[in-house]
Amino acid sequence: MDQSTPAISIDRLTKRYGQTAAVSGLTLAIPQGSIFGLLGTNGAGKTTTFKCMLGLARPTEGRILFEGKPLEPVLFERLAYVPERCALYEWMTGAQLLEMQRRSFARYDEKRANELMDLFALDRKKKLGKYSKGQQTAMALVLAFSIHPDLLVLDEPAAGLDPVHQRHVLDLIIGESAGGATVVFSSHQIGQVERAAERVAIMHRGTLRLAGEVEQLKADVKVVEATFDDEAPSLNGLAGDPSVGQIQRSGRLLRVYVRGNGDEIARKITEHRPRSVRVLDQNLEDIFLTTVATSTPDVMER
Amino acid sequence: MASFNIDPHSGVPIYLQLIEQVKRSVALGVLVPGEQLPTVKQLALDLTINANTVGRVYRELERDGVIETSPGRGSFVRDNGGVGRATRAVEDVASAAIDGAVREAKSIGIDADNAVKLFRKALARWYPGLNDTNELEDQR
Repeated sequence: MDQSTPAISIDRLTKRYGQTAAVSGLTLAIPQGSIFGLLGTNGAGKTTTFKCMLGLARPTEGRILFEGKPLEPVLFERLAYVPERCALYEWMTGAQLLEMQRRSFARYDEKRANELMDLFALDRKKKLGKYSKGQQTAMALVLAFSIHPDLLVLDEPAAGLDPVHQRHVLDLIIGESAGGATVVFSSHQIGQVERAAERVAIMHRGTLRLAGEVEQLKADVKVVEATFDDEAPSLNGLAGDPSVGQIQRSGRLLRVYVRGNGDEIARKITEHRPRSVRVLDQNLEDIFLTTVATSTPDVMER
Repeated sequence: MASFNIDPHSGVPIYLQLIEQVKRSVALGVLVPGEQLPTVKQLALDLTINANTVGRVYRELERDGVIETSPGRGSFVRDNGGVGRATRAVEDVASAAIDGAVREAKSIGIDADNAVKLFRKALARWYPGLNDTNELEDQR
């Protein structure tokens, strides 16, 4: 198959529940073999997007294609989904659930499943109902990774896991992607997304606010911060500069969000004789928080 | 084998951090000409970062003439010229760091004379054998 065809393409997806639009007008392309991070506050529409992707919810509008085709039952043989809240058969033991997985999936790899059970220190003889919440999540991850899926959809896969197991999840995601699989995952732990994901999308209140390559987003956005002896000047000239995004003024402090290298804007601000000027890098968390902030108490222009 | 450390929370893109560290290791002789680098997948797993990021690092290091990759065999530090190129690249890193320090000093209102004094003080601290800076210290 053509490598340039996205593993998943979401085209103007809208999902309404009654009057509420959980997702509206979402368009995204997830390249094959990539790790894609979906970020958003609670209620941003991440889980709804996943449900629509997997046919668990019917889109109100728009469509989703897998490798250029609509979702077909045959895809489920090479797709794994770990939902935010896993519902495992509580009366089964870990070993029984693995046996069920073996019988259901031709791709099931017993050796791999056993390695994963040991990795997450899961008791095969214990009933799943007696597993802790974190262990249930880990069990769902064992099932997902045991079938060497081509496509993994993980909704908050590290929720409830301790930091050591969280790192194992990242390693598994990275390893699977290095082997050619496409991974889409959501997480509130931005540091994890920053490490593992090649591309991210930031959703807020059902709409897409920002999408792109993590490294590019970080390289693209700088903050020029200046302090003045008196109140920060309004610097109307800056607002017209195409590289300038948000401008925040608060007392003697001026913060200008700049696309690209901030040096030129820093130089322009220097002409207004500030006490100090510096150019700050932005990590993904800064970018996320700026993106989802709908209003700030500071004076905003543009 | 050199070991690398990346800070994912830094605003500096991970691939740039890693490129700098590989060049630094080559310039310092921690990685020697002909030495094999880990596979892309292995380094991705060691650092818990995206394999495509490591792939991009290797491609750029190859383009910069620091390493060479032969299909099926792996990536190696280049025999001819790799060290020189890495050394020059590390000089660029040092130059950028000094530039940043001077800019910082200027941004908090330190004039050129005082900036020079601070620079000489730093030289005296890190290059203890330097006579010139000792004299300067005496003058103060």
